[in-house]
Amino acid sequence: MQTFFQIVLNGLMLGGIFAIISVGLTLIFGIVKVVNFAHGEFLMVGMYATWLLTTKMGLHPYVTVAGVVPLLFLLGVLTQRFLIQPLMAARDDHVQIFATVGLSTALMNLALMVFGADIANTPAHGLRAPIEAGPVRMLTGQLWILVAAVALVIGLRAFLARTNTGRAIRAVAQNRAAAKLMGINVDAIYMLTFGIGAACVGLGSALIAPLYPTSPTIGTYFVLTAFVVVVLGGLGSITGAFAGAMVIGLLDALSGFYIGSDVREAVVFGVFLLILILRPSGLFGTRAVLAHVS
Amino acid sequence: MRFAAYLTTTALVAGLAATAATADVKLGELYPFSGGLALLGEESARGLEIAVDQVNAAGGLQGEKIVLVKGDAVDNNQAIGEARRLISLEGVKAVFGTYSSSRSIAASQVAELAGVPYFELGAVADEVTGRGLQYVFRTNPTADDMAKMIVQMITDKIAPGLGVAPGDLKIGIIHEDSSYGTSVAAHQEEYGKAAGLTIVADSAYPANTVDMSSLVLDLKSRGADVVLQTSYQNDSVLFLQQANEAGYQPKAIIGGGGGYSLTPTMEAVGAELMNGVFDVDFTQYAVNTEFTPGLTEFVAAYKAKFGGEPRSGHSLNNYVGALAILQAMNAAKDFEPDTIVEAVTAIDVADGTTAAGYGIKFGKNNQNERAAMAGMQWQDGKLVTVFPDAAAVSEMIFAKPSN
Repeated sequence: MQTFFQIVLNGLMLGGIFAIISVGLTLIFGIVKVVNFAHGEFLMVGMYATWLLTTKMGLHPYVTVAGVVPLLFLLGVLTQRFLIQPLMAARDDHVQIFATVGLSTALMNLALMVFGADIANTPAHGLRAPIEAGPVRMLTGQLWILVAAVALVIGLRAFLARTNTGRAIRAVAQNRAAAKLMGINVDAIYMLTFGIGAACVGLGSALIAPLYPTSPTIGTYFVLTAFVVVVLGGLGSITGAFAGAMVIGLLDALSGFYIGSDVREAVVFGVFLLILILRPSGLFGTRAVLAHVS
Repeated sequence: MRFAAYLTTTALVAGLAATAATADVKLGELYPFSGGLALLGEESARGLEIAVDQVNAAGGLQGEKIVLVKGDAVDNNQAIGEARRLISLEGVKAVFGTYSSSRSIAASQVAELAGVPYFELGAVADEVTGRGLQYVFRTNPTADDMAKMIVQMITDKIAPGLGVAPGDLKIGIIHEDSSYGTSVAAHQEEYGKAAGLTIVADSAYPANTVDMSSLVLDLKSRGADVVLQTSYQNDSVLFLQQANEAGYQPKAIIGGGGGYSLTPTMEAVGAELMNGVFDVDFTQYAVNTEFTPGLTEFVAAYKAKFGGEPRSGHSLNNYVGALAILQAMNAAKDFEPDTIVEAVTAIDVADGTTAAGYGIKFGKNNQNERAAMAGMQWQDGKLVTVFPDAAAVSEMIFAKPSN
């Protein structure tokens, strides 16, 4: 029984990591309607930035949030302004997808050139210390990631629901032309949204870096699961992404123990396909989900 | 004016090319020099380059100077393309390579078809020499040798050191699920069973996994005393950290090459946690030099040529293989493929007489049947050789009694 609780806890902690990575991805998809294949590489850039700030300046990894989040926001804004926006007018939306795939490959190889293929270790500053909660244990850093993911979901929802900028963002998602007629600067909203989406993964990267060694390909380790999480939760749904992340985390941990580590991907993707067949718009998705970002 | 300069240059180049063609013997140097495998590909090539320098300094091959022609095996397709270019355009007499098993398997087919000898100095997959090819030789130890050495180390040294019979130790095998991990694990199971070991788990996982906590819990609940992991770098770090964090302390952890031999892995995990972890891989540098004559000279030559310490054992193993092959080619009467094959087949170098320790004699499938890996252990942040006894520089240490 103790083992079972430990596995469930491990699954929730893993879910927290997937959640904090996926929230930005689903936001960008829901509003800008771009599938950002460079999302994993945004994570990688953020992790290297955290590593540089912690090792060169001796900062605590969590303090680096103050630098990493604005950096990723800027990266997101620039990506939207100079890569996606010029392609918005293209007849075929798929062009944007290929552009983000290109950006992903370029960033990965740039990292390979600058940092080399070796792993880079962000000092853990006690974040790897286990917390014993009765018979089970978790890492301090993992717990903070879960807390941050919950806070991020609540914060983003409040921002989108309560603020004028949030309303403008939702208006653009609902109807781009109408929003423009109402005097909303659509291009600026897109840049802002892409920036916020990238900043979310920036927050994630500063929290994840102390727990995982950073390498140029680290983004590819997480990004496939992030896409699964986003689709499972219902494209564009922030709450859905969180729930999807928890489902995937638990499935991964439980199947890894009870069925076998070699088939857990088969289990995760099998259940994923099953859910999609039964609920094609995902757990929290509705046909109109993009209209009111649930 | 410009035209005249152009003519002069052309004449000069043509002249150089002409002398090169008449007085030198060309050999192919086929490694991944760019892309993801570039670091260790280049490290491997450096071993070949040092062997060539040494032979050239001693008068070259049959009196002719060796010129290495580089080919960049950045992926399997390019490995094939570069092998074709080296053989048909450059007219190399033999190809040396390749570090990566998949590139080697691809490129050596080309050499075999063209009837040009292909010498593999560093790729470990069984298939490289398992295909019955006539012109493909391999000097380095393989996945099979790795598993053999790991099992031997457990029965001969680790079990007695822990004070238990080998059969009483519960062995957990975990490995990444590509052909590398899978083939080593299959050999571990085969040799382990033959040696009477009790294998309680054999689990595969994808190398890009981000969580191994379930695997750790599984090993823990099965009570595995010794964990054998065949892995790359990321998953080595992940397993060692997550095992520690879950409070799982097996009596011994034995890594198979890959991530376990690299200093950054130790730094990521921490010297304290890494202390006592075993590793079986190519011969490294903290080894008894009486068993590896020529090692000190190799390191000196490496430093003089490349201005730094060797970054891994790859250069050393490539050097040892290349040197033996080149010396055999030197003793032959010409560079005809069949003459080279005949000379190489006759090589008979005893164990304990090369810089990597193992001897060279080609057996079945042109595989060096004397090739062997070395058993090492992380002690105080250093990877030192502990097995076999002839190569050891330090006693094995065993983890504090736990649980």
